[in-house]
Amino acid sequence: MKLEVVGQSVIRVDGLAKLRGKATYPQDLYMDNMLYGKTLRSIKPHANIRLNISKAEKMEGVIKILTYKDVPHNHYGVLFKDHEVFSSTKVRSIGDPLAFVVATSDKIATKALEEIEVFYEDLDAVFDPIEAMQDNAPKVHDKSNIVYKYQLRKGDVDKAFQQCDVIIEEEYKTSMVDHAFLQPEAGLAYQENETFVVCAATQYPHFDQLEIAEALEVPLEKVRVINPAVGGAFGGREDITMQIHLALATKLTGRPVKTIYSRQESFVAHSKRHPLIMKYKTGANKEGKLLAMEATIVGDTGAYASWAINILRKSGVHATGPYEIPNVKVDSYAVYTNNPFAGAMRGFGATQVPIAHEQQMDMLAEKLNINPIEFRLINCFRKGSTTATGQILEESIPLVECIEAVEKSLKQTTQGGV
Amino acid sequence: MKKISLKINGKEYNVEIEKDMRLLDLLRDQLHLTGTKEGCGEGECGACTVIMDGVTVNSCMVLAFQADGSEIITIEGLDKGDKLHPIQKAFLDEGAVQCGFCIPGMVLSAKALLDKKPSPSRKEIREGISGNLCRCTGYNKIVDAIDKASQYLKEEGEEK
Repeated sequence: MKLEVVGQSVIRVDGLAKLRGKATYPQDLYMDNMLYGKTLRSIKPHANIRLNISKAEKMEGVIKILTYKDVPHNHYGVLFKDHEVFSSTKVRSIGDPLAFVVATSDKIATKALEEIEVFYEDLDAVFDPIEAMQDNAPKVHDKSNIVYKYQLRKGDVDKAFQQCDVIIEEEYKTSMVDHAFLQPEAGLAYQENETFVVCAATQYPHFDQLEIAEALEVPLEKVRVINPAVGGAFGGREDITMQIHLALATKLTGRPVKTIYSRQESFVAHSKRHPLIMKYKTGANKEGKLLAMEATIVGDTGAYASWAINILRKSGVHATGPYEIPNVKVDSYAVYTNNPFAGAMRGFGATQVPIAHEQQMDMLAEKLNINPIEFRLINCFRKGSTTATGQILEESIPLVECIEAVEKSLKQTTQGGV
Repeated sequence: MKKISLKINGKEYNVEIEKDMRLLDLLRDQLHLTGTKEGCGEGECGACTVIMDGVTVNSCMVLAFQADGSEIITIEGLDKGDKLHPIQKAFLDEGAVQCGFCIPGMVLSAKALLDKKPSPSRKEIREGISGNLCRCTGYNKIVDAIDKASQYLKEEGEEK
Protein backbone atom coordinates (compact mmCIF):
# COMPACT_ATOMS: atom_id res chain seq x y z
CA MET A 1 0.00 0.00 0.00
CA LYS A 2 1.33 3.42 -0.93
CA LEU A 3 0.83 5.96 1.86
CA GLU A 4 0.17 9.47 0.67
CA VAL A 5 0.11 11.33 3.98
CA VAL A 6 1.70 9.06 6.64
CA GLY A 7 5.44 9.60 6.63
CA GLN A 8 5.18 12.73 4.48
CA SER A 9 5.74 16.30 5.59
CA VAL A 10 2.44 18.02 4.87
CA ILE A 11 1.75 21.75 4.96
CA ARG A 12 -1.00 22.57 7.48
CA VAL A 13 -4.23 23.51 5.71
CA ASP A 14 -5.11 26.20 8.22
CA GLY A 15 -1.57 27.60 8.43
CA LEU A 16 -1.97 30.12 5.64
CA ALA A 17 -5.06 31.87 7.04
CA LYS A 18 -3.47 31.98 10.49
CA LEU A 19 -0.26 33.54 9.11
CA ARG A 20 -2.21 36.20 7.24
CA GLY A 21 -4.31 37.15 10.27
CA LYS A 22 -7.42 35.95 8.44
CA ALA A 23 -8.30 32.93 10.60
CA THR A 24 -11.46 33.65 12.58
CA TYR A 25 -11.38 32.97 16.32
CA PRO A 26 -14.66 33.56 18.19
CA GLN A 27 -13.52 36.98 19.46
CA ASP A 28 -13.07 38.06 15.84
CA LEU A 29 -16.80 37.70 15.09
CA TYR A 30 -18.99 40.81 15.01
CA MET A 31 -22.68 41.13 14.08
CA ASP A 32 -25.05 44.04 13.59
CA ASN A 33 -27.26 44.80 16.58
CA MET A 34 -24.97 42.71 18.78
CA LEU A 35 -25.14 42.74 22.57
CA TYR A 36 -22.31 42.06 25.01
CA GLY A 37 -22.33 39.62 27.89
CA LYS A 38 -20.32 39.56 31.12
CA THR A 39 -20.34 36.84 33.78
CA LEU A 40 -20.61 37.52 37.50
CA ARG A 41 -18.61 34.90 39.39
CA SER A 42 -18.32 33.74 42.96
CA ILE A 43 -15.47 35.17 45.04
CA LYS A 44 -16.05 32.61 47.82
CA PRO A 45 -15.13 28.91 47.76
CA HIS A 46 -18.15 27.62 49.71
CA ALA A 47 -21.14 29.73 50.71
CA ASN A 48 -24.89 30.02 50.58
CA ILE A 49 -25.79 32.85 48.26
CA ARG A 50 -28.55 35.28 47.44
CA LEU A 51 -28.49 37.89 44.66
CA ASN A 52 -30.16 41.26 44.27
CA ILE A 53 -30.09 42.36 40.64
CA SER A 54 -32.73 45.12 40.88
CA LYS A 55 -30.25 48.03 40.80
CA ALA A 56 -28.19 46.58 37.97
CA GLU A 57 -31.30 45.71 35.98
CA LYS A 58 -32.40 49.35 35.89
CA MET A 59 -29.12 50.66 34.47
CA GLU A 60 -29.34 52.27 31.06
CA GLY A 61 -28.05 49.90 28.42
CA VAL A 62 -28.63 46.75 30.47
CA ILE A 63 -31.00 44.55 28.46
CA LYS A 64 -31.23 41.41 30.57
CA ILE A 65 -29.56 39.79 33.55
CA LEU A 66 -29.64 36.00 33.48
CA THR A 67 -29.66 34.02 36.72
CA TYR A 68 -30.57 30.44 37.62
CA LYS A 69 -34.25 31.47 37.49
CA ASP A 70 -33.97 31.89 33.72
CA VAL A 71 -32.53 28.44 33.06
CA PRO A 72 -35.14 25.75 32.25
CA HIS A 73 -32.75 22.93 33.27
CA ASN A 74 -29.98 24.30 35.47
CA HIS A 75 -27.59 21.32 35.39
CA TYR A 76 -24.78 20.18 33.11
CA GLY A 77 -21.48 18.32 33.11
CA VAL A 78 -19.60 15.82 30.96
CA LEU A 79 -19.98 12.74 33.21
CA PHE A 80 -22.17 13.90 36.10
CA LYS A 81 -24.56 16.81 35.84
CA ASP A 82 -22.93 18.40 38.91
CA HIS A 83 -22.35 21.89 37.47
CA GLU A 84 -25.11 24.49 37.67
CA VAL A 85 -25.50 26.83 34.70
CA PHE A 86 -25.82 29.56 37.36
CA SER A 87 -25.47 28.83 41.09
CA SER A 88 -28.91 28.70 42.67
CA THR A 89 -28.51 28.42 46.44
CA LYS A 90 -24.81 27.87 47.07
CA VAL A 91 -21.40 28.26 45.48
CA ARG A 92 -18.87 25.41 45.61
CA SER A 93 -15.74 27.15 44.37
CA ILE A 94 -14.34 30.55 43.49
CA GLY A 95 -15.37 31.35 39.93
CA ASP A 96 -18.78 29.61 39.93
CA PRO A 97 -21.04 31.62 37.58
CA LEU A 98 -23.82 33.53 39.36
CA ALA A 99 -25.29 35.74 36.65
CA PHE A 100 -24.75 36.87 33.06
CA VAL A 101 -25.33 40.54 32.29
CA VAL A 102 -26.37 41.34 28.72
CA ALA A 103 -25.92 44.98 27.74
CA THR A 104 -25.49 47.23 24.74
CA SER A 105 -21.75 47.59 25.35
CA ASP A 106 -18.96 45.71 27.04
CA LYS A 107 -18.36 48.70 29.31
CA ILE A 108 -21.96 48.88 30.53
CA ALA A 109 -22.03 45.12 31.14
CA THR A 110 -18.84 45.37 33.21
CA LYS A 111 -20.25 48.29 35.22
CA ALA A 112 -23.50 46.42 35.83
CA LEU A 113 -21.59 43.51 37.40
CA GLU A 114 -20.52 45.87 40.19
CA GLU A 115 -24.15 46.87 40.81
CA ILE A 116 -25.33 43.32 41.47
CA GLU A 117 -25.47 42.69 45.21
CA VAL A 118 -24.30 39.25 46.29
CA PHE A 119 -24.98 38.10 49.83
CA TYR A 120 -22.65 35.30 50.90
CA GLU A 121 -23.17 33.17 53.99
CA ASP A 122 -19.86 31.34 54.41
CA LEU A 123 -19.92 27.57 54.82
CA ASP A 124 -17.09 25.39 56.14
CA ALA A 125 -14.92 24.57 53.17
CA VAL A 126 -12.47 21.77 52.46
CA PHE A 127 -9.34 22.23 50.36
CA ASP A 128 -7.32 19.11 51.21
CA PRO A 129 -8.54 15.99 49.39
CA ILE A 130 -7.33 13.66 52.17
CA GLU A 131 -9.40 15.64 54.69
CA ALA A 132 -12.31 15.69 52.23
CA MET A 133 -12.37 11.84 52.30
CA GLN A 134 -13.22 11.81 56.03
CA ASP A 135 -16.85 11.23 56.97
CA ASN A 136 -17.05 14.47 58.98
CA ALA A 137 -15.60 16.69 56.22
CA PRO A 138 -17.75 19.51 54.78
CA LYS A 139 -19.78 18.11 51.89
CA VAL A 140 -19.31 19.83 48.55
CA HIS A 141 -22.37 18.16 46.98
CA ASP A 142 -24.51 16.95 49.91
CA LYS A 143 -23.08 13.44 49.56
CA SER A 144 -19.73 11.73 50.05
CA ASN A 145 -16.85 13.73 48.58
CA ILE A 146 -15.39 10.52 47.16
CA VAL A 147 -16.46 10.61 43.53
CA TYR A 148 -14.72 7.47 42.39
CA LYS A 149 -12.45 4.64 43.47
CA TYR A 150 -10.44 2.50 41.10
CA GLN A 151 -8.85 -0.74 42.32
CA LEU A 152 -6.16 -2.72 40.59
CA ARG A 153 -4.98 -6.06 42.00
CA LYS A 154 -2.40 -8.40 40.53
CA GLY A 155 -0.69 -11.25 42.42
CA ASP A 156 -0.07 -10.96 46.17
CA VAL A 157 1.82 -7.81 47.15
CA ASP A 158 2.06 -8.63 50.87
CA LYS A 159 3.80 -11.93 50.18
CA ALA A 160 5.99 -10.41 47.46
CA PHE A 161 7.25 -7.54 49.67
CA GLN A 162 8.59 -10.19 52.11
CA GLN A 163 10.79 -11.54 49.30
CA CYS A 164 12.18 -8.08 48.38
CA ASP A 165 15.77 -7.18 49.25
CA VAL A 166 15.07 -3.45 48.95
CA ILE A 167 11.86 -1.48 49.45
CA ILE A 168 11.29 2.25 48.92
CA GLU A 169 8.29 3.99 50.47
CA GLU A 170 7.64 7.63 49.61
CA GLU A 171 4.86 10.14 49.09
CA TYR A 172 4.69 12.45 46.07
CA LYS A 173 2.52 15.44 45.27
CA THR A 174 1.94 17.17 41.96
CA SER A 175 0.45 20.62 41.63
CA MET A 176 -2.58 22.08 39.91
CA VAL A 177 -1.73 23.26 36.38
CA ASP A 178 -3.63 25.55 34.04
CA HIS A 179 -3.62 24.90 30.32
CA ALA A 180 -3.13 28.64 29.69
CA PHE A 181 -4.09 28.25 26.04
CA LEU A 182 -3.34 31.57 24.40
CA GLN A 183 -6.86 32.39 23.17
CA PRO A 184 -9.10 33.22 26.13
CA GLU A 185 -12.63 31.81 25.90
CA ALA A 186 -14.96 33.82 23.69
CA GLY A 187 -18.20 33.21 21.85
CA LEU A 188 -21.04 34.66 19.86
CA ALA A 189 -24.59 33.32 19.71
CA TYR A 190 -27.49 34.32 17.47
CA GLN A 191 -30.79 33.02 16.13
CA GLU A 192 -31.24 31.82 12.60
CA ASN A 193 -34.48 30.23 11.32
CA GLU A 194 -35.60 29.43 14.89
CA THR A 195 -32.30 27.74 15.58
CA PHE A 196 -29.88 28.89 18.28
CA VAL A 197 -26.41 29.16 16.78
CA VAL A 198 -23.44 29.25 19.17
CA CYS A 199 -19.96 29.99 17.83
CA ALA A 200 -17.34 29.07 20.42
CA ALA A 201 -13.90 27.52 20.44
CA THR A 202 -14.52 24.06 21.84
CA GLN A 203 -13.08 20.56 21.84
CA TYR A 204 -16.50 18.98 22.03
CA PRO A 205 -19.02 20.72 19.74
CA HIS A 206 -21.45 17.78 19.47
CA PHE A 207 -21.61 17.40 23.25
CA ASP A 208 -21.91 21.18 23.73
CA GLN A 209 -24.93 21.00 21.42
CA LEU A 210 -26.50 18.33 23.64
CA GLU A 211 -25.81 20.23 26.86
CA ILE A 212 -27.18 23.51 25.44
CA ALA A 213 -30.34 21.75 24.20
CA GLU A 214 -30.84 20.08 27.60
CA ALA A 215 -30.34 23.30 29.56
CA LEU A 216 -32.67 25.29 27.31
CA GLU A 217 -35.11 22.37 27.03
CA VAL A 218 -35.27 22.70 23.27
CA PRO A 219 -34.93 19.91 20.69
CA LEU A 220 -31.37 19.03 19.70
CA GLU A 221 -31.92 20.13 16.09
CA LYS A 222 -32.75 23.64 17.32
CA VAL A 223 -29.15 24.10 18.50
CA ARG A 224 -26.20 24.49 16.20
CA VAL A 225 -22.64 24.78 17.46
CA ILE A 226 -20.02 26.24 15.14
CA ASN A 227 -16.39 25.72 16.05
CA PRO A 228 -14.30 28.48 14.47
CA ALA A 229 -10.50 28.60 14.87
CA VAL A 230 -9.50 27.28 18.31
CA GLY A 231 -6.59 29.07 19.96
CA GLY A 232 -5.18 26.11 21.87
CA ALA A 233 -7.14 23.89 24.23
CA PHE A 234 -5.05 21.03 25.71
CA GLY A 235 -8.14 19.61 27.44
CA GLY A 236 -9.27 22.94 28.85
CA ARG A 237 -12.10 23.32 26.35
CA GLU A 238 -13.77 19.96 26.99
CA ASP A 239 -16.20 21.38 29.53
CA ILE A 240 -18.87 24.01 28.85
CA THR A 241 -17.98 27.56 29.88
CA MET A 242 -20.10 30.28 28.26
CA GLN A 243 -21.94 28.23 25.62
CA ILE A 244 -25.21 27.82 27.56
CA HIS A 245 -25.10 31.42 28.84
CA LEU A 246 -24.83 32.72 25.27
CA ALA A 247 -27.55 30.46 23.86
CA LEU A 248 -29.93 31.45 26.64
CA ALA A 249 -29.06 35.15 26.21
CA THR A 250 -29.85 35.12 22.49
CA LYS A 251 -33.03 33.12 23.16
CA LEU A 252 -34.31 35.64 25.71
CA THR A 253 -33.20 38.86 23.97
CA GLY A 254 -33.69 37.83 20.35
CA ARG A 255 -30.39 39.50 19.47
CA PRO A 256 -26.84 38.30 18.82
CA VAL A 257 -24.79 38.18 22.03
CA LYS A 258 -21.02 38.07 22.30
CA THR A 259 -18.73 37.54 25.26
CA ILE A 260 -14.97 37.49 25.67
CA TYR A 261 -13.27 36.32 28.85
CA SER A 262 -10.28 38.20 30.23
CA ARG A 263 -7.21 36.11 31.01
CA GLN A 264 -8.08 36.34 34.70
CA GLU A 265 -11.61 35.08 34.09
CA SER A 266 -10.28 32.33 31.81
CA PHE A 267 -8.17 31.06 34.72
CA VAL A 268 -11.20 30.65 37.02
CA ALA A 269 -13.66 29.51 34.33
CA HIS A 270 -12.09 26.32 32.98
CA SER A 271 -10.69 23.13 34.44
CA LYS A 272 -7.21 22.42 35.80
CA ARG A 273 -4.91 19.40 35.79
CA HIS A 274 -5.75 17.17 38.78
CA PRO A 275 -3.21 17.60 41.56
CA LEU A 276 -2.35 14.09 42.82
CA ILE A 277 -1.10 12.81 46.15
CA MET A 278 0.67 9.50 45.49
CA LYS A 279 1.84 7.11 48.22
CA TYR A 280 4.15 4.52 46.71
CA LYS A 281 5.84 1.39 48.03
CA THR A 282 8.02 -0.43 45.52
CA GLY A 283 10.30 -3.42 46.09
CA ALA A 284 12.95 -5.34 44.12
CA ASN A 285 15.34 -8.23 44.69
CA LYS A 286 19.11 -7.79 44.72
CA GLU A 287 19.35 -8.85 41.06
CA GLY A 288 17.38 -5.68 40.25
CA LYS A 289 14.07 -7.29 39.35
CA LEU A 290 10.95 -5.45 40.48
CA LEU A 291 8.73 -7.77 42.54
CA ALA A 292 5.98 -5.64 44.04
CA MET A 293 4.38 -2.23 43.98
CA GLU A 294 1.62 -0.75 46.08
CA ALA A 295 0.20 2.72 45.42
CA THR A 296 -2.56 4.89 46.82
CA ILE A 297 -3.41 7.81 44.56
CA VAL A 298 -5.74 10.63 45.56
CA GLY A 299 -6.80 13.13 42.93
CA ASP A 300 -8.28 16.49 43.90
CA THR A 301 -11.04 17.14 41.38
CA GLY A 302 -12.12 20.39 43.04
CA ALA A 303 -15.79 21.34 43.10
CA TYR A 304 -16.83 19.39 39.98
CA ALA A 305 -16.10 15.93 38.65
CA SER A 306 -15.61 16.78 34.97
CA TRP A 307 -13.56 13.82 33.66
CA ALA A 308 -12.25 12.77 37.10
CA ILE A 309 -13.33 9.14 36.73
CA ASN A 310 -11.52 8.56 33.47
CA ILE A 311 -8.50 10.50 34.68
CA LEU A 312 -8.01 8.76 38.02
CA ARG A 313 -8.63 5.41 36.32
CA LYS A 314 -5.88 6.26 33.88
CA SER A 315 -3.55 7.28 36.73
CA GLY A 316 -4.23 3.91 38.32
CA VAL A 317 -3.68 1.96 35.09
CA HIS A 318 -0.39 3.77 34.47
CA ALA A 319 0.77 3.66 38.11
CA THR A 320 3.49 1.04 37.49
CA GLY A 321 5.03 3.05 34.70
CA PRO A 322 6.32 1.08 31.72
CA TYR A 323 7.68 -1.70 33.95
CA GLU A 324 6.70 -5.30 34.39
CA ILE A 325 5.84 -5.93 38.04
CA PRO A 326 4.29 -9.31 38.98
CA ASN A 327 2.52 -8.12 42.14
CA VAL A 328 0.60 -4.86 42.09
CA LYS A 329 -2.02 -3.19 44.27
CA VAL A 330 -3.37 0.23 43.36
CA ASP A 331 -6.20 2.25 44.91
CA SER A 332 -6.96 5.45 43.06
CA TYR A 333 -9.53 8.00 44.22
CA ALA A 334 -11.14 11.14 42.83
CA VAL A 335 -12.32 13.51 45.54
CA TYR A 336 -14.44 16.66 45.63
CA THR A 337 -13.02 19.74 47.42
CA ASN A 338 -13.83 23.45 47.23
CA ASN A 339 -10.81 24.05 45.00
CA PRO A 340 -11.08 25.06 41.32
CA PHE A 341 -12.40 22.05 39.41
CA ALA A 342 -9.99 19.74 37.62
CA GLY A 343 -10.57 17.95 34.33
CA ALA A 344 -8.87 17.02 31.11
CA MET A 345 -5.33 18.17 30.46
CA ARG A 346 -2.70 16.72 28.15
CA GLY A 347 -1.99 13.18 29.38
CA PHE A 348 -5.30 12.80 31.22
CA GLY A 349 -3.91 11.39 34.47
CA ALA A 350 -0.94 9.60 32.92
CA THR A 351 1.27 12.70 33.20
CA GLN A 352 1.36 12.93 36.99
CA VAL A 353 2.29 9.34 37.96
CA PRO A 354 5.80 9.31 36.40
CA ILE A 355 6.83 11.85 39.07
CA ALA A 356 6.31 9.02 41.55
CA HIS A 357 7.22 5.82 39.68
CA GLU A 358 10.40 7.21 38.12
CA GLN A 359 11.67 8.66 41.41
CA GLN A 360 10.99 5.26 42.99
CA MET A 361 13.09 3.67 40.22
CA ASP A 362 15.99 6.06 40.83
CA MET A 363 15.92 5.50 44.59
CA LEU A 364 15.72 1.71 44.23
CA ALA A 365 18.64 1.74 41.77
CA GLU A 366 20.70 3.80 44.19
CA LYS A 367 19.93 1.46 47.08
CA LEU A 368 20.73 -1.58 44.92
CA ASN A 369 23.88 0.11 43.60
CA ILE A 370 22.76 -0.54 40.01
CA ASN A 371 23.03 2.02 37.21
CA PRO A 372 19.52 3.57 36.91
CA ILE A 373 19.48 2.99 33.14
CA GLU A 374 20.41 -0.66 33.54
CA PHE A 375 17.77 -1.00 36.27
CA ARG A 376 15.14 0.32 33.85
CA LEU A 377 16.33 -2.00 31.07
CA ILE A 378 15.98 -5.01 33.40
CA ASN A 379 12.34 -4.17 34.14
CA CYS A 380 10.91 -2.27 31.19
CA PHE A 381 8.10 -3.45 28.91
CA ARG A 382 9.12 -5.43 25.86
CA LYS A 383 7.19 -7.22 23.18
CA GLY A 384 5.28 -9.98 25.01
CA SER A 385 5.27 -8.24 28.42
CA THR A 386 2.14 -8.34 30.56
CA THR A 387 1.01 -5.10 32.15
CA ALA A 388 -0.46 -4.83 35.66
CA THR A 389 -3.95 -4.81 34.12
CA GLY A 390 -3.24 -8.07 32.30
CA GLN A 391 -2.74 -6.65 28.83
CA ILE A 392 -0.21 -8.59 26.78
CA LEU A 393 1.82 -6.16 24.68
CA GLU A 394 2.04 -7.77 21.28
CA GLU A 395 2.76 -4.84 18.97
CA SER A 396 5.31 -2.05 18.80
CA ILE A 397 7.05 -1.57 22.19
CA PRO A 398 10.28 0.27 21.29
CA LEU A 399 11.09 1.27 24.88
CA VAL A 400 14.46 -0.51 25.05
CA GLU A 401 15.58 1.31 21.88
CA CYS A 402 14.32 4.58 23.35
CA ILE A 403 16.20 4.16 26.64
CA GLU A 404 19.37 3.16 24.76
CA ALA A 405 19.05 6.21 22.48
CA VAL A 406 18.64 8.47 25.50
CA GLU A 407 21.68 6.89 27.15
CA LYS A 408 23.77 7.43 24.03
CA SER A 409 22.61 11.01 23.77
CA LEU A 410 23.34 11.68 27.45
CA LYS A 411 26.88 10.35 27.08
CA GLN A 412 27.51 12.77 24.22
CA THR A 413 26.66 15.81 26.32
CA THR A 414 28.99 17.25 28.91
CA GLN A 415 26.30 17.85 31.50
CA GLY A 416 24.16 14.77 31.02
CA GLY A 417 26.41 11.99 32.38
CA VAL A 418 24.66 9.42 34.52
CA MET B 1 -14.00 61.68 21.79
CA LYS B 2 -10.76 62.64 20.16
CA LYS B 3 -9.61 62.72 16.54
CA ILE B 4 -6.30 61.16 15.58
CA SER B 5 -4.60 60.35 12.31
CA LEU B 6 -2.21 57.51 11.77
CA LYS B 7 -0.88 55.29 9.03
CA ILE B 8 -1.68 51.56 9.24
CA ASN B 9 -0.14 49.16 6.74
CA GLY B 10 0.63 52.09 4.44
CA LYS B 11 -2.89 53.50 4.50
CA GLU B 12 -3.84 56.85 6.10
CA TYR B 13 -6.61 56.76 8.70
CA ASN B 14 -8.40 59.68 10.36
CA VAL B 15 -10.43 58.23 13.22
CA GLU B 16 -12.49 59.34 16.17
CA ILE B 17 -11.58 57.50 19.33
CA GLU B 18 -12.63 57.26 22.96
CA LYS B 19 -9.94 58.71 25.20
CA ASP B 20 -9.53 55.46 27.16
CA MET B 21 -9.44 53.26 24.07
CA ARG B 22 -6.41 51.03 23.60
CA LEU B 23 -4.60 50.82 20.29
CA LEU B 24 -5.65 47.14 20.27
CA ASP B 25 -9.36 48.09 20.47
CA LEU B 26 -8.96 50.66 17.72
CA LEU B 27 -7.41 48.05 15.44
CA ARG B 28 -9.85 45.25 16.27
CA ASP B 29 -13.22 46.76 17.19
CA GLN B 30 -13.18 49.96 15.15
CA LEU B 31 -11.11 49.07 12.07
CA HIS B 32 -11.80 45.29 12.19
CA LEU B 33 -8.15 44.43 11.71
CA THR B 34 -8.71 41.34 13.84
CA GLY B 35 -5.41 39.67 12.94
CA THR B 36 -4.02 41.36 16.05
CA LYS B 37 -5.00 39.18 19.03
CA GLU B 38 -5.59 39.77 22.73
CA GLY B 39 -4.21 37.02 24.96
CA CYS B 40 -3.79 38.65 28.36
CA GLY B 41 -4.44 42.39 28.22
CA GLU B 42 -1.46 43.15 30.40
CA GLY B 43 1.60 43.02 28.19
CA GLU B 44 2.72 39.51 29.13
CA CYS B 45 1.86 37.29 26.18
CA GLY B 46 2.70 39.36 23.09
CA ALA B 47 -0.29 38.15 21.03
CA CYS B 48 -1.22 41.80 20.39
CA THR B 49 2.25 42.76 19.13
CA VAL B 50 2.30 45.31 16.32
CA ILE B 51 5.17 47.35 14.87
CA MET B 52 4.88 51.05 15.74
CA ASP B 53 7.42 53.34 14.05
CA GLY B 54 9.78 50.39 13.54
CA VAL B 55 9.57 49.09 17.11
CA THR B 56 7.40 46.24 18.42
CA VAL B 57 4.81 47.27 21.02
CA ASN B 58 2.09 45.40 22.89
CA SER B 59 -0.97 47.14 21.46
CA CYS B 60 -2.88 46.37 24.68
CA MET B 61 -0.42 48.60 26.56
CA VAL B 62 -0.61 51.56 24.16
CA LEU B 63 -3.55 53.94 24.29
CA ALA B 64 -4.96 54.79 20.89
CA PHE B 65 -4.26 58.51 21.27
CA GLN B 66 -0.57 57.71 21.79
CA ALA B 67 -0.51 56.34 18.24
CA ASP B 68 -1.50 59.74 16.79
CA GLY B 69 0.86 60.50 13.91
CA SER B 70 2.57 57.12 14.04
CA GLU B 71 3.03 54.40 11.47
CA ILE B 72 1.71 50.97 12.41
CA ILE B 73 2.29 47.60 10.77
CA THR B 74 -0.09 44.76 11.64
CA ILE B 75 -0.14 41.19 10.35
CA GLU B 76 -2.58 42.25 7.62
CA GLY B 77 0.13 44.51 6.19
CA LEU B 78 2.70 41.80 5.54
CA ASP B 79 1.60 39.85 2.51
CA LYS B 80 1.13 41.48 -0.87
CA GLY B 81 -2.09 39.95 -2.14
CA ASP B 82 -1.34 36.33 -3.00
CA LYS B 83 2.37 36.69 -2.33
CA LEU B 84 3.32 35.80 1.21
CA HIS B 85 6.02 37.71 3.03
CA PRO B 86 9.18 35.50 3.30
CA ILE B 87 8.67 35.27 7.07
CA GLN B 88 5.12 33.98 6.59
CA LYS B 89 6.35 31.49 4.00
CA ALA B 90 9.09 30.25 6.32
CA PHE B 91 6.59 29.75 9.18
CA LEU B 92 4.36 27.74 6.85
CA ASP B 93 7.22 25.64 5.43
CA GLU B 94 8.67 24.83 8.86
CA GLY B 95 5.32 23.88 10.42
CA ALA B 96 5.71 26.63 13.01
CA VAL B 97 1.97 27.30 13.17
CA GLN B 98 -0.32 25.27 15.39
CA CYS B 99 -3.28 26.98 17.05
CA GLY B 100 -2.11 30.21 15.44
CA PHE B 101 -3.15 32.65 18.15
CA CYS B 102 0.42 33.77 18.91
CA ILE B 103 1.42 33.78 15.25
CA PRO B 104 0.58 37.36 14.16
CA GLY B 105 2.58 38.75 17.08
CA MET B 106 5.33 36.20 16.61
CA VAL B 107 5.71 37.05 12.90
CA LEU B 108 5.85 40.78 13.63
CA SER B 109 8.48 40.30 16.34
CA ALA B 110 10.46 38.24 13.80
CA LYS B 111 10.11 41.04 11.26
CA ALA B 112 11.28 43.71 13.69
CA LEU B 113 14.28 41.51 14.54
CA LEU B 114 15.22 40.67 10.94
CA ASP B 115 14.79 44.31 9.82
CA LYS B 116 17.54 45.27 12.26
CA LYS B 117 19.59 42.08 12.20
CA PRO B 118 19.33 40.13 8.92
CA SER B 119 21.43 37.16 10.15
CA PRO B 120 20.60 36.57 13.80
CA SER B 121 22.04 33.67 15.81
CA ARG B 122 19.55 31.21 17.33
CA LYS B 123 20.13 32.89 20.69
CA GLU B 124 19.33 36.28 19.17
CA ILE B 125 16.18 34.81 17.61
CA ARG B 126 15.11 33.49 21.01
CA GLU B 127 15.73 36.92 22.52
CA GLY B 128 13.83 38.53 19.64
CA ILE B 129 10.68 36.53 20.40
CA SER B 130 11.13 36.53 24.19
CA GLY B 131 8.09 38.82 24.52
CA ASN B 132 5.82 36.38 22.67
CA LEU B 133 4.36 33.34 24.39
CA CYS B 134 3.38 30.21 22.49
CA ARG B 135 1.66 27.31 24.29
CA CYS B 136 1.62 24.79 21.42
CA THR B 137 4.97 24.47 19.68
CA GLY B 138 7.63 24.57 22.37
CA TYR B 139 9.25 27.32 20.23
CA ASN B 140 11.76 25.12 18.35
CA LYS B 141 9.89 25.19 15.06
CA ILE B 142 9.32 28.93 15.40
CA VAL B 143 13.06 29.49 15.88
CA ASP B 144 13.71 27.21 12.86
CA ALA B 145 11.21 29.26 10.85
CA ILE B 146 12.85 32.59 11.68
CA ASP B 147 16.23 31.08 10.82
CA LYS B 148 14.79 30.01 7.45
CA ALA B 149 13.11 33.41 6.98
CA SER B 150 16.52 35.02 7.33
CA GLN B 151 17.74 32.82 4.42
CA TYR B 152 14.62 33.52 2.32
CA LEU B 153 15.05 37.27 2.81
CA LYS B 154 18.70 37.06 1.73
CA GLU B 155 17.81 34.99 -1.36
CA GLU B 156 15.11 37.50 -2.22
CA GLY B 157 17.62 40.35 -1.84
CA GLU B 158 20.06 38.56 -4.18
CA GLU B 159 17.33 38.09 -6.82
CA LYS B 160 16.69 41.81 -6.78
